[in-house]
Amino acid sequence: MSTDQPVIIEFNLGPISCHAFNHDRTELAVSFNTNVVSIFRKSGSGWTLAWTLEEHDKPVTSVDWAPKSNRIVTCSQDRNAYVWTLDQASQQWKPTLVLLRINRAATFTRWSPEEDKFAVASGSRCISVCYFEEDNDWWVGKHIKKPIRSTVLSLDWHPNNVLLAAGCADMKARVFSAFIKGVDKKPAPSPWGEKLPFNTVCGEFSSGTGGWIHGVAFSPSGDSLAFTGHDSSITVVSPATGSVQTIRAPYLPYVSVLWLNENQIVAAGHDCAPHLFENKGQQWAFSVSLDSAVKKADVGFTARDTFRRMDSRAQSTTSSDTEIHSHHQNTINSIRFYAGSRENLEQYTTSGVDGKLIIWNTSNIANILSNLRI
Amino acid sequence: MAFRKIDIDALEEDAFRQEELDFQEIGEVPPQQEVEAQVNNRAQEVRILLQRGDAAGALSTSLQNPPYGSGLETAKARNTQTVMEVLTYALKSADQLVKNLSSEEQDVLMKYLYAGMAAPEQNNSGVLLTWHEKLTEVAGQGCIVRVITDRRTV
Repeated sequence: MSTDQPVIIEFNLGPISCHAFNHDRTELAVSFNTNVVSIFRKSGSGWTLAWTLEEHDKPVTSVDWAPKSNRIVTCSQDRNAYVWTLDQASQQWKPTLVLLRINRAATFTRWSPEEDKFAVASGSRCISVCYFEEDNDWWVGKHIKKPIRSTVLSLDWHPNNVLLAAGCADMKARVFSAFIKGVDKKPAPSPWGEKLPFNTVCGEFSSGTGGWIHGVAFSPSGDSLAFTGHDSSITVVSPATGSVQTIRAPYLPYVSVLWLNENQIVAAGHDCAPHLFENKGQQWAFSVSLDSAVKKADVGFTARDTFRRMDSRAQSTTSSDTEIHSHHQNTINSIRFYAGSRENLEQYTTSGVDGKLIIWNTSNIANILSNLRI
Repeated sequence: MAFRKIDIDALEEDAFRQEELDFQEIGEVPPQQEVEAQVNNRAQEVRILLQRGDAAGALSTSLQNPPYGSGLETAKARNTQTVMEVLTYALKSADQLVKNLSSEEQDVLMKYLYAGMAAPEQNNSGVLLTWHEKLTEVAGQGCIVRVITDRRTV
């Protein structure tokens, strides 16, 4: 039972704006809403600071760690992105500047599955798809511009290494081709299209009720796309069947989404707890909150607690309690893959404004669902 | 910090402007007369339903196809009035009625509740607050957030 419980890593160093783990989950890159990225190394049950990456001069907005090639990419409000590689001799991380050619803040970055490209979203209404140019020995970016009308807030790569989904502040989620000649092989046809030259728009979707698109994610197979917006909705799009389903959630908006498998999605955001959405018979619906701390707090409301509360705080009810009954105490802004496979995710991590990073297990989901039915 | 007040979009040729955003979210707005005729017809229909005592039918009819877009102030005011009539009439059965609405209708109702509360001199805020409470119990905070984000205002 104890292995099912979420593992909480608390740094108390300020809000976490982004986080990424290395391939074997022994090192962790975090930015605490500053211009510095801190890399912690696991030591026993705790984490000790191993390196700090100081090259940006404005807050870092996103970090991603390529598992196979062990490279880190960071991007920041200073309009730059750096690719960091660990120098074997000195055991120091060395930055390489990337030519993004953007005139607004960079907002989000992710390595492609093959790790030969990465994409940087920005406020200058474009996505820089960056690849390594051998001749000049640096990373250059190619822009996806049309038809983006506002800041791009999130990205996700399709497993085929070519398609890229983008969530945008112009209330649209789009799927683009980020095919780079000389880097990519011609992709196999998918429901998103057959001929895919660079900047092909393979789909443009909206939830219908407005709101910036905060998070996008391709399903494990890449055949469906889920996105969430500031209108507290989640939309799942499957181009093969032409189905577009919008679930209007009764909670505060979600910021980040992640697929556990083809039929389950986890979303988290301003409600401070990860929520599960399930596909039952081709119909997506909200299922349950995966933060069981809610239940614990409710059960603990006994007569003894009441007297203790009256004694210690001169309160007879919990109404003025400032703590919310979830593990995260503030907005979750990132939810990421941690362990398992893309088809069947076993663990995921969330980090948020409360400065906590939590590792969640999916093994207890069946348990939570069966408790719900009883 | 004076530079913070500079409208940087004014210098941008290709800025994302209000009109474009409205068009993207609402689409082509039908001519004013047409919308007004539609709204008046609906008001009639709702009144007949109310006379028959069909509060549920009146409520969902009044929430259908609301007038969206700029330049439709008269039609919007008229339609808000229609919805308010239903809300006043059906106040007692509010909690049951909101449960039977589709999630889309719940969102539209929430829009009208806020539109009604914006004009306290015309509408009974007590009635609206009761509906607001019942609706929030069913549709949650998400429903309120959608009223704020949706560009299709009533």
